[in-house]
Amino acid sequence: MTKAGVLRQPDDNEGPGVVGRTLGRPFWIAIGWLGLLTVLALFASWLPIEDPNKVGAGGPRLGPSFSHFFGTDALGRDVFARTIFGARISLLVGFLAIAFGIVVGGGLGIIAGYFRGITDQVISFCFFTLLSFPALVLALLITATIDRNQWTVSFTLGILAVASVGRLSRANTIVFAEREFVQAARVLGANSRRIITHELLPNVMIPMGALALLGMGIAIVAEGSLAFLGLSVEGDAVSWGKSIVDGSQARDLDKNPNVALFPIGVMFLTVLALNYAGDRVREYFDVRETAF
Amino acid sequence: MRTLILSRLSQLVLVLLAVTFLSFSAMNVLGDPLFNIIGPLAELDCDAVARGEIESTSSSLDATRTDCEIVAEVKAEFRLDEPLLKRYVLWLGDSVRGDFGTSFASEGVPVSEILKAKFPASIKLMVYAEVIALGLAIPLGVYGAYRANRRPDRILSVVSFGALAIPNFALGVVLLYVFALKTGVFPSSYDKSSVWSEVKSLFLPAFTLGSGLAAGYQRLLRTDLVTTLQEDFVHMARAKGMTDRHIMFRHALRPSLFSVITVFGVQTGALIGGSLVVEQIYLIPGVGRELVTAVVRDDFPVVLAGVTVIATAFVVINFAVDLLYGWLDPRVRAQ
Repeated sequence: MTKAGVLRQPDDNEGPGVVGRTLGRPFWIAIGWLGLLTVLALFASWLPIEDPNKVGAGGPRLGPSFSHFFGTDALGRDVFARTIFGARISLLVGFLAIAFGIVVGGGLGIIAGYFRGITDQVISFCFFTLLSFPALVLALLITATIDRNQWTVSFTLGILAVASVGRLSRANTIVFAEREFVQAARVLGANSRRIITHELLPNVMIPMGALALLGMGIAIVAEGSLAFLGLSVEGDAVSWGKSIVDGSQARDLDKNPNVALFPIGVMFLTVLALNYAGDRVREYFDVRETAF
Repeated sequence: MRTLILSRLSQLVLVLLAVTFLSFSAMNVLGDPLFNIIGPLAELDCDAVARGEIESTSSSLDATRTDCEIVAEVKAEFRLDEPLLKRYVLWLGDSVRGDFGTSFASEGVPVSEILKAKFPASIKLMVYAEVIALGLAIPLGVYGAYRANRRPDRILSVVSFGALAIPNFALGVVLLYVFALKTGVFPSSYDKSSVWSEVKSLFLPAFTLGSGLAAGYQRLLRTDLVTTLQEDFVHMARAKGMTDRHIMFRHALRPSLFSVITVFGVQTGALIGGSLVVEQIYLIPGVGRELVTAVVRDDFPVVLAGVTVIATAFVVINFAVDLLYGWLDPRVRAQ
């Protein structure tokens, strides 16, 4: 170790906390990737790709080739098609879960932070209880007892997000409720409903943008984890998690790794893009709290 | 300190009651335990039979009893005829004494026996993962802070950002493929024939879990250390002519560990979830695999007991971390 490191004062123009006023090119690359995936997922049915569940679309266990970009699995199903159709369920579940979390958790958080008192105590205790479960264990508890389709799985993962989002929104509400513009509104005779919807909501919602991106990544990963527990969507529906599980048995992984590795790669890039974009948005608005 | 412990203890009890009640009612209200035990027979409308509106089909399972007698017997045995709240209280009373009832699927086997056999492997895996995580995060966090905003720090920051984006199961599958199946450096499944083989066979799963944790710890520790290094006592130590190594490890590290310790408790939740998944990939006979088997077989007492024990452990760990934090930092004690 040299002696240079410790004593050196950090310069003003470096270090965490100083942020450029633009989002930067990597941010737009990340958004571009997410946009591309969304378009592919939306129009999957009209694209010239195989039916993801068609057994024998190609020979079994083929490597990547021009006719099957990602190869085929043990049943001869096209892995590329399964990845694209998987994006449908995975992105949908990720989006709906965090949307549910933000609407319900954000709403409850604002109510708790605005009214305080017993309302706050009850809501905060509910958040605390939800957070007292390891997230995946709570998801297991719910999904194990219900019929699993994309809606119920999204709903379950949404519940996981409620408490984290709620705590952030409550904390922000408490801060904003003390500010002059809110007090001015109150003096002018605005009722609680108006203050919440017109004064607090817009301010509390800004940090939620970053949270939405980060939370969507977490929800997509959570769907994959549920798939490994056999608790993702049931039946023929394809998700990234289910595709990865399909190729993860030691025998399959050894013989044709493409079945698991291609969806893993796509999922990794997606989560990376969501995390990066979320981080940039958070820095851009200089929001210091994180909920996860 | 005593008031802190007492208030936290009462909170702990309240949360444990809420957590167990939530688990119990989710299983009983969302699921249908009667159906899980006796299958389609559960749908027979015994009230209608009693009123004579429909004929009771003579038993297909047991010739000596009618179907409705079987249903009534099972309901009594598993207390399904009682109201939810009463069942919860009875179940809770048994649970605190370590009696989680008997499994539906393997008849007559106590759930506590099933889980007891599965816990050691899971706990070993999680401790191993934490050891790897801290073993990586502390030196790398110190190094990152020492070289703050220079190239080594930037590289570490990119690597940890990437590591945070890799889902547990994805890393698990990739490591399994590269280091177990292709090169054979590590075994691909759990082997507890000797201590060495156990350490070796648990390395990949523990590393899978530990690397994500390590990335989180490293980032926190680095940030806190950078702040600590601007404190007066660090300048003082420099002025006295102490070596950088001494300052980093003996002066700056300890006051910078608070966030890591706080997050340690919260991260345990992610670790537990991760180990459920990683056990599937590396075929480790732990609680995670038992839970999944139980879910597939609709073995509801096992699922309920597993979830309860895990959630309780998690709450207690966070409680302990809270107290530890108060013990380490006088400011928390004063509140």
